Amino acid sequence: MSLSADKRELLAVLKLIRRYNLKGTEELLRQEANLAEDADDSAGTDVDCVLSAYEGEGDPEIFENAYAELRNFVEESLDIYKHELALVLYPILAHIYIKLMQNGHCDAAKRILEKFGPEQEHYFQEDIQNLLQITNRQQLEGSDLVNALENEKFIIRMSRDTLSLLKRHIQDKKTDTISQIVNKHLYFDLYEGVARSKGQCEASAGAMTGEAKRQDNKVRVYYGLLKEVDFQTLTTPPEEEDDLDPDAPDKPKKKKSKKDPLFSKKSKSDPNAPPHDRIPLPELKDADKLEKMKALREASKRVNLGKDSLPSVCFYTVLNAANAVTCTEISDDSSMMAVGFADATIKVWSLTPSKLREMKPADQLKEIDRDADDVLVRMMDDRTAETCRMLLGHSGPIYRCAFSPDRTLLLSCSEDATIRLWSFNTWTCVVVYKGHQFPIWDVRFSPHGYYFASCSHDKTARLWATDSHQPLRIFAGHLSDVDVVQFHPNSNYIATGSSDRTVRLWDVLTGNYVRLMTGHKACVYSLAFSMCGRYLASGSSDHRVLIWDLSHGQLIASLANHSDSIHCLCFSRDGTILASGSLDCTLKLWDFSKLSEDYASQTANASHNPDVKDGDVYLLRSFPTKSSPFISLHFTRRNLLLAVGMFKS
Amino acid sequence: MGDPDMLYGTTLSAESIKVIAESIGVGSLPDDGAKELAEDVSYKLKKIVQDAAKFMHHAKRSKLNIADIDAALKVRNIEPQYGFTSNDFIPFRFASGGGRELHFIEEKEIDLSEIIQGAPPKIPLEVTLRAHWLCVDGIQPTVPENPPPLSKESQALDSVNPVVKLEQGMTKDTAGKPATGKLHKLKNVETVHVKQLATHELSVEQQLYYKEITEACVGSDEPRRGEALQSLATDPGLHEMLPRMCTFIAEGVKVNVVQNNLALLIYLMRMVKALLDNPALYLEKYLHELIPSVSTCIVSKQLCMRPELDNHWALRDFAARLMWQICKNFNTSTNNLQTRVTRIFSTALQNEKTPLSSLYGAIAGLSELGSEVIKVFIIPRLKSISDRIESHLQGTALSNTDKIAAGHIRAMLQKCCAPVLKTIRNPPDIVEEYKRDYGFLGPTLHQAVVKARNAPQVIPSTSINSISNNSAVTIVNAPIAAAATASTLNRNQGPLISSRAGSIEFFSSAQTISPQIQRQVSQTQNQPGQQQKYVIVTQRPSTPQSGLQQSQMSSGLQQNGSNPIKFQHSTSLQGSASTVYCNTSSVEQVGPPELDDLSHLE
Repeated sequence: MSLSADKRELLAVLKLIRRYNLKGTEELLRQEANLAEDADDSAGTDVDCVLSAYEGEGDPEIFENAYAELRNFVEESLDIYKHELALVLYPILAHIYIKLMQNGHCDAAKRILEKFGPEQEHYFQEDIQNLLQITNRQQLEGSDLVNALENEKFIIRMSRDTLSLLKRHIQDKKTDTISQIVNKHLYFDLYEGVARSKGQCEASAGAMTGEAKRQDNKVRVYYGLLKEVDFQTLTTPPEEEDDLDPDAPDKPKKKKSKKDPLFSKKSKSDPNAPPHDRIPLPELKDADKLEKMKALREASKRVNLGKDSLPSVCFYTVLNAANAVTCTEISDDSSMMAVGFADATIKVWSLTPSKLREMKPADQLKEIDRDADDVLVRMMDDRTAETCRMLLGHSGPIYRCAFSPDRTLLLSCSEDATIRLWSFNTWTCVVVYKGHQFPIWDVRFSPHGYYFASCSHDKTARLWATDSHQPLRIFAGHLSDVDVVQFHPNSNYIATGSSDRTVRLWDVLTGNYVRLMTGHKACVYSLAFSMCGRYLASGSSDHRVLIWDLSHGQLIASLANHSDSIHCLCFSRDGTILASGSLDCTLKLWDFSKLSEDYASQTANASHNPDVKDGDVYLLRSFPTKSSPFISLHFTRRNLLLAVGMFKS
Repeated sequence: MGDPDMLYGTTLSAESIKVIAESIGVGSLPDDGAKELAEDVSYKLKKIVQDAAKFMHHAKRSKLNIADIDAALKVRNIEPQYGFTSNDFIPFRFASGGGRELHFIEEKEIDLSEIIQGAPPKIPLEVTLRAHWLCVDGIQPTVPENPPPLSKESQALDSVNPVVKLEQGMTKDTAGKPATGKLHKLKNVETVHVKQLATHELSVEQQLYYKEITEACVGSDEPRRGEALQSLATDPGLHEMLPRMCTFIAEGVKVNVVQNNLALLIYLMRMVKALLDNPALYLEKYLHELIPSVSTCIVSKQLCMRPELDNHWALRDFAARLMWQICKNFNTSTNNLQTRVTRIFSTALQNEKTPLSSLYGAIAGLSELGSEVIKVFIIPRLKSISDRIESHLQGTALSNTDKIAAGHIRAMLQKCCAPVLKTIRNPPDIVEEYKRDYGFLGPTLHQAVVKARNAPQVIPSTSINSISNNSAVTIVNAPIAAAATASTLNRNQGPLISSRAGSIEFFSSAQTISPQIQRQVSQTQNQPGQQQKYVIVTQRPSTPQSGLQQSQMSSGLQQNGSNPIKFQHSTSLQGSASTVYCNTSSVEQVGPPELDDLSHLE
């Protein structure tokens, strides 16, 4: 141990370089640092010491006693402080384990964790199991969990009184073991006021590295919707309208009266909306405008849902799939469905009587009169019309598909770490986006098209544009797999859910996270923004749906009634009902309008730590299927709920 | 929390590592090495399985498969283990010996030539989409694609656990019905807890269905009946109509057993069978109606017009099989169903005065319940049964009917007792011993036992019972359908046989009325002087007549005390339908049907 710390670190780096066989770099570095060839032999054993940040011996007995004392102190403290104090137990225990492992007291570490592990909260049991799998020092490096705990501070929100109580205990004991860990690895997010109750503590606990700091959620989020393009200025030939709408005669008059409120609502500028040019959005093409008109017309026929008028649900069962369906997706206008399979194929079905057609070959396209009104129809080859088409190209299971808003493109992501863009004109793959290192779990198109977001096993989410091979943004910060990604309706933000049991909201403009939301006790598998853009619903394998208010990053409600992972969430088009589908083969409808009303009336007299609402009052109805877990949900523009599942044979 | 070892998993043992090392040719692996390896391998395996679980979750499955492991290996840059895919679950086998315990996967030898020469595997079915309504305006339609509105488990819970019902009463079960404001209002206003009248409404569709089904089941169109029974056996949404169906069956049996209408009894039993087979129904709540009906069809003294010609034995056998099925499905420690059923049969068996046809039914019923029941209840009675049937079979018989009955009893006993006797008696089978123990039946039984012993593989009666329901249905239904048609064909021509105990005189003319079961019957032929009976089965409860009739029936019962097996309709049954006799004077003469009295069941 005669070498200085600096030198030892250098040696460690050298060794690493050697390990990867980078001879040139090694030479250079050696010259720079004036290190002799022979030095690194002796350093060989030191490398691990450098990587492990700890030094000295550390007697396991001392740790065990210190922890036992701390636990007793928590047990015996006053009820009002008890629950907040209890939050420190798990991180300290985990760090004791890591520390002992680093010092080579593997058996003692194991014994201590096995002794105290079972009394930790149920949502930390999985992590404790992961820790226990580690049986020697080398394995520490490979563990995501250990790295997360080492590199990130474990965040605990605590009232001033509670913290002073804890500090006094630590000082009294005069053992620097615990205080070292507390100083080095815990971060207390202090607040004034009464200590939180058990329910309040539990609501936000559970993430891999504790809770969110208040600082994390300080930045203003423009959760409002973008101002819609003024449709009055859109010029649509009247005969076109008749084409699309067979029952048109009395339509124009009716539409005028109906649409007016819609327009007036939209044209009022939302104080929470981002400026229209905050991020560059693609120009609307004529086809897009037509599509928007169609959507608006459909919306005028929408059924208003509520407690007393529940939606109808049409369930599509995928048969004969032999458990191979990995994802399904329905286009926004409900005309097409894409199904991804574990055998790397994608099938696209037409859900309407109109068939899926291919574009004519080039020589025939030349002959078409380009000025014809129905040029888009003429381009297509009727001989190729089919109700179901297959897309081949990936080499691993497809984990998600996404339709572009104009329904000409499809994105798919797969286990083979690529994203592919498919064209519905040619029915071929157009672009392969490579960038992620590992299997990609989710891909979503921006509501305005052009951009899309993906997330992967490599712990990042990325923002892409369809015309670029490189990602535009890399959202790094999650401590484990990013399992799900979702675009905010105004395209300025994306939300991600991760296996580190947090939900984050990222600003597309800056690439920073602007909200960090903790409270899930297991991986987050589904996300949905409310229609108004203010709320976010997240479904998880802890069998709960949590509702968040994005304006402050607060947890509003926990909807717990499912009995298995929730893989799909969907808000009705009028934002009144939230539908959640789960692997437990049930679909549940939640009264979201009541929930948001209750929340709004409560915020008027908001306290510091508002209680999280319990779910069951908001549950409207539950619909079981025979044996088909729900894979995806989709509300049509008229508020008919489409659900897709695979029959589990 | 439990045992931490269980909670936190375990590691491969050093022995396992040694075994694996041996298998690849490393003979002497030092202990330290094995231990080190075991720990390391366990860690890595756990990591891989953990990663694989991620792939499983993202494929929206809850079952890990080999492809997940492959993907997890790929993520760690390890070559996946190609060629280990399997569609089936491969169980681990366990073996021990030489102080070692091993779990291994059985690898069967595959004959390649067989694979090459065999037919090519079937092309998998095309993946298809199928749409159905999961719910319409918040109400889940009861179509076959949807699960039954009340799952079988909750039906079972509902009938077995009274606490559940109480709780349900508080939070009125609104599943499938939209919450109406009215109901809500009522609840708020009511302060006194009045037990609400159980309203039981059937929709128009359900009423139509009920009408169609009941008509088809007892009508004369056999294909249509098949469809109706099929519907009863498979439709998931029937539980709301179950009370009506069961009442229909119970009433039908009551009426038709009086009229000795074998065909209809058979049809009704087939309905019971269909309901029992329906996987979505749990009949526990309705057993008080079904069991008396079924046991009537087993042990009733007379089930048909001409006992010596009609094959009412098939009905008794069929109903006995049904009874076994009921016992098997619904016997719990609280209702003691099987015990009570066994008691009914065995008391019949013990009574010396039981008519032979009832005796046959009792034996059939008992023999279906398994070899243990046969051993305890039938075998000890063999001798006395022998004595009874001896006279009938030895030619000194008074009536042909009894002779036939005795013959059937003998055949039945031979069939059911032989396998049991084989097990309880030791090999040297001596005719004399059999004769001594079992009297007249001795030689027959001896013959059967010897035959059973010589047969290479005898299927004991219990295992016949355990044949899956479907095959049992097909086996049993064939003769019973045949019997039904035969009896309908011949019903009108046969000579009149008056039964021994309660002579039924109102069938004196060859013109038999065949009202059977008719909903709102309108039979208005008035033939004064002829004793005729009109049967009206309605769905309205409690007309005064029903009380009258009940008292009459019970008075008749006293007259006719020779009936050994008495079933008594519970009053609730009586209330749900009424039988009206137009010609009251004839009622006195009507021997009450000998289905009655299940009072000891309650």
